[in-house]
Amino acid sequence: MANGAPGLAALTEEPSPELVRELLHGVIDPELGIDIVELGLLREATVEAGVARIRFIVTTPACPLSTYIEDEIHACLAQAPGLRHVLVQSELEPPWSPEEMSESARRALGWRD
Amino acid sequence: MEGLSRVGPQGSSRLLRRAPLLAAALVALLAGLWAGLLRLGFDLPPLRSNLAELHGPLLVLGFLGTQIGLERAVALRRRPPWPYLAPVGAAAGAVWLLVGLPTTVGQLLLALGGGVLCAVFVAVHRIDPTWHNAVMGLGAVAWTAGAIVWLNDDEVARAVPFLAAFLVLTIVGERLELSRMRRPTRTARAALLLAIALFGSGVILTLPDPELGIRLAGAGLLAQAAWLARYDVARRTVRMSGVTRYMAVALLAAYWWLAVAGAFWLSSGELLGGGFTYDAMVHTVFLGFVFSMVFAHAPVIVPAVLGVALPYRRAMYGPLVLLHAGLLLRVLGDLGENVTAWRWGGALDETAILAFLALAAGSALRARRPSSPG
Repeated sequence: MANGAPGLAALTEEPSPELVRELLHGVIDPELGIDIVELGLLREATVEAGVARIRFIVTTPACPLSTYIEDEIHACLAQAPGLRHVLVQSELEPPWSPEEMSESARRALGWRD
Repeated sequence: MEGLSRVGPQGSSRLLRRAPLLAAALVALLAGLWAGLLRLGFDLPPLRSNLAELHGPLLVLGFLGTQIGLERAVALRRRPPWPYLAPVGAAAGAVWLLVGLPTTVGQLLLALGGGVLCAVFVAVHRIDPTWHNAVMGLGAVAWTAGAIVWLNDDEVARAVPFLAAFLVLTIVGERLELSRMRRPTRTARAALLLAIALFGSGVILTLPDPELGIRLAGAGLLAQAAWLARYDVARRTVRMSGVTRYMAVALLAAYWWLAVAGAFWLSSGELLGGGFTYDAMVHTVFLGFVFSMVFAHAPVIVPAVLGVALPYRRAMYGPLVLLHAGLLLRVLGDLGENVTAWRWGGALDETAILAFLALAAGSALRARRPSSPG
């Protein structure tokens, strides 16, 4: 597929789940200024046969932001080479807990241990 | 990215599906604002005989009820999509009242919308039984109760404490939910629940004893405002930049007005008197607290609910400042019984809302994303 062009094969290879996860740091909750990975809203990010499967949750089932986050995930992963499909699923349960936030998110929001 | 197929973002179809509700909510907003100008004494065509009396119900239940009902229906994603009956009831009730069909049916439709929203929160509570969801659910109960009180007693003012409770409890429940991110202590959370209980008891007490009820509810409003000013995430996020800071500024301004509202309710105890004090009591809550929240959350809620990108622009501070400046002028007019200040403060607020609407529509049109291949 690369036909000998240096670097092209790397560009068309499917991205690793780690890279996808890295890209998802670009999906930011506008009100908090913190991304969904740090907030612990990302439940799963896998890549198989060029298909990225993303599962995430919002902080409460009453929160309407799931469609906003879905759109932002698609916009973020549009930059990832080698993906044929991006399947995004938002979930309502099991409910999210603040304990799922990363250390840096906790610090940014003023947690004191 | 040729060949990339995407599943999920179907903004254009989302907008089309929700266009009738959006249109009805916009009609309710514009008619409510027109009714507001009539109440402010501007010499304008009345359009229909009782439009001025519909000012509050059109804005609170017709516009905000449709918007909030839609937000919850979008969140819950049920099949069949019964939660959409909440915004449908609010929108249909508002249009019904505007068209001039029998008022009772319009009021019943509004009450029905509130009842469906209560059922939505029962479903939410089954998934995530928490205090914050319960408080938002109480907001839905207040919507329903407000519509029924208005139905039983043609005086809108009797329903006003319930309409205020619908929006205050909805918003405070949302803020309580987000405050988890700052990990308030159990005592702090209990203090807010106590403030909410005080406010809720006062609202119910307005039925048998308006003066005592309003004073108790005012104390509850003050306590909630103090709690929000102390524990809300906005105190941290106001140090950030861009849209995050803009939202925090609007939130903190809203808490200031909630405190002012509490002081008015606590000190006056007036519900049915009308006049300047009543004007200040009502508009510090609905304009200062609620519309500041609407301005704050529009860049997030509009894309989420309508599938239309609404990028933040610094210009959004313009209508926000105008909203608060107009309200300050209006309240000073109320305090000094100065009709000119009251009237033009009110007109400035309406200008702020229309300016924000125009700015949002302009931003959304400029940022239109290509529709997804789905």
